[in-house]
Amino acid sequence: MTACHSEQKTTDLGVLLVDDEVDFLGTLAKRLDRRGFTVFRASSGPAGLDLLQQQPIDVVVMDVKMPEMDGIETLRHVKQDHCDVEVILLTGNASTADGVEGIKQGAFDYITKPVDIDHLAGKIRQAGDKRRRAEERQREQEQRKQLEQQMMATERLASLGTLSTGVAHEINNPLAMMQEAAGYMRLILEKDEKTVASRRVDLGRALEKIEKGVDRIRRITHLLLGFVRKSGQAYSETDIQALMEETLELMVNEMRDKDIRIQRQMTEDAGIIVSDPYALRQVLINLVTNAAHAIKNEGAITLGLARQQHHVEITVSDTGEGIPKEIVNRIFEPFFSTKPPDKGTGLGLFVTRGIVNRLGGEISVNSAVGHGTTFTVRLPVCPPADDLSTGDADQCDAILQKIKEATDDDKNTGQGADR
Amino acid sequence: MIKIPARVLIVDDEKDFVEIFAMRLEELGETVFSAFSGKECLNFLSENEDIDVVILDIKMPGGMDGIDTLMELKKRFPLVEVLLLTGHGTIETAVKGMKLGAYDYLLKPADFSEIKEKIEGARQRREEQEERIRKAEQRALLRKGGNIY
Repeated sequence: MTACHSEQKTTDLGVLLVDDEVDFLGTLAKRLDRRGFTVFRASSGPAGLDLLQQQPIDVVVMDVKMPEMDGIETLRHVKQDHCDVEVILLTGNASTADGVEGIKQGAFDYITKPVDIDHLAGKIRQAGDKRRRAEERQREQEQRKQLEQQMMATERLASLGTLSTGVAHEINNPLAMMQEAAGYMRLILEKDEKTVASRRVDLGRALEKIEKGVDRIRRITHLLLGFVRKSGQAYSETDIQALMEETLELMVNEMRDKDIRIQRQMTEDAGIIVSDPYALRQVLINLVTNAAHAIKNEGAITLGLARQQHHVEITVSDTGEGIPKEIVNRIFEPFFSTKPPDKGTGLGLFVTRGIVNRLGGEISVNSAVGHGTTFTVRLPVCPPADDLSTGDADQCDAILQKIKEATDDDKNTGQGADR
Repeated sequence: MIKIPARVLIVDDEKDFVEIFAMRLEELGETVFSAFSGKECLNFLSENEDIDVVILDIKMPGGMDGIDTLMELKKRFPLVEVLLLTGHGTIETAVKGMKLGAYDYLLKPADFSEIKEKIEGARQRREEQEERIRKAEQRALLRKGGNIY
């Protein structure tokens, strides 16, 4: 099907008359011509469709009863290939069924023969106005879309700018450390063999600094790669509850030095969605790591999971220090960190938010100093439709169907689906 | 010519960097001290005003960054030279730092020979300043003496 493109007309309304009664066609054309319309004539549906391809036509006035291809059939073709052209149907024997069908197929109006020429001219002008309004609306929509795209591009660029400056700065520090370590090693290695042998411990310390620097830079680059990995995005049926348990296992080491209780508030079977499990695992790891870091010596981390119709809500709460009000708005900025340099890259929450948005979700934070912080991630059961392959979309439908059935069951047993 | 060792204080919250940077400078014969925040730096200087050069990082946590520290330092210890060394260089901080009296401004990772050069330059400037003050004091004393006798 041809897309609906509108063209701007500078001339008067172009009207195409289609009727197999040639005399009637001639008379009508002359009378409309006198009223200022640019008139084109066709004696059959197919001939009319040909003219539509070639001429600037705004409104088609067409008989319903025609041999070869009747008015309704021709109307269907007109609307299919020129959806912005308005059609007025004419007939000698008005039948309600034709009328209903014509309007259903998108006709602007229906006029019975014999035709009152002023009435018809009025209808043509109305149809022309409708078409112009539709064109204007479409132009406005296109402009708005263009503006939105520009704004998004600007935001992306701004964010890219902040990101690149941040990356350069953050990498400069470990680079400086590595440079000093290498320089120090060279100073020692330039001495005689006996001295070098006696300074093995110092060389080892310098080497350790180089390794630390590499590790810091590696963490930054890997996090960034995780952030930009779009092409590798693979959607599949994802069990969030299982991912949460996996994350906790991975995090055991991180929490070993502290007395942290893990609590779970999960609704059974709430967490099956279509998403990218690898990206989601990174989100969970980042949030649980932050929660663990926020707890000084002892406290609790609570992982929550609940379903809200076509969304799931994941919460990661800690009883840690909380985030002061004045910085809570900045925590998602790239390279904003309150942790010492060897602990945090300042990218964790920035990347986390990027991933969540990419998966069609949202992340929010609620924090009280001295009491703790809760991060809430709201994800759709199905990711944005544009990103989905046919197979994924089928999986989505299956899951949505299961949810619907569960909701119906809940309704039948008198329980609400939302929690 | 025998090089006079400089007394250097490195101020940076990156402990690993401070440690290895100090080791490298010490290896070249400089006397190096370290502090990990602006406050520590000022406390150290209160008891050790004979530091020639403070190598100061700009982005430091704890409510007092390198620029704040520089401002306070120049007020209280005007003779101590400051070399700003930062991984987060911007034109704004560079201009601000120089206006506040920094000896120079270097970006991490900086060329080591340049750092050495700047340290030596700063040490000499401090020496010259002290010399000028000494001479001025002597002149003042002489004038005072002239009035008496």
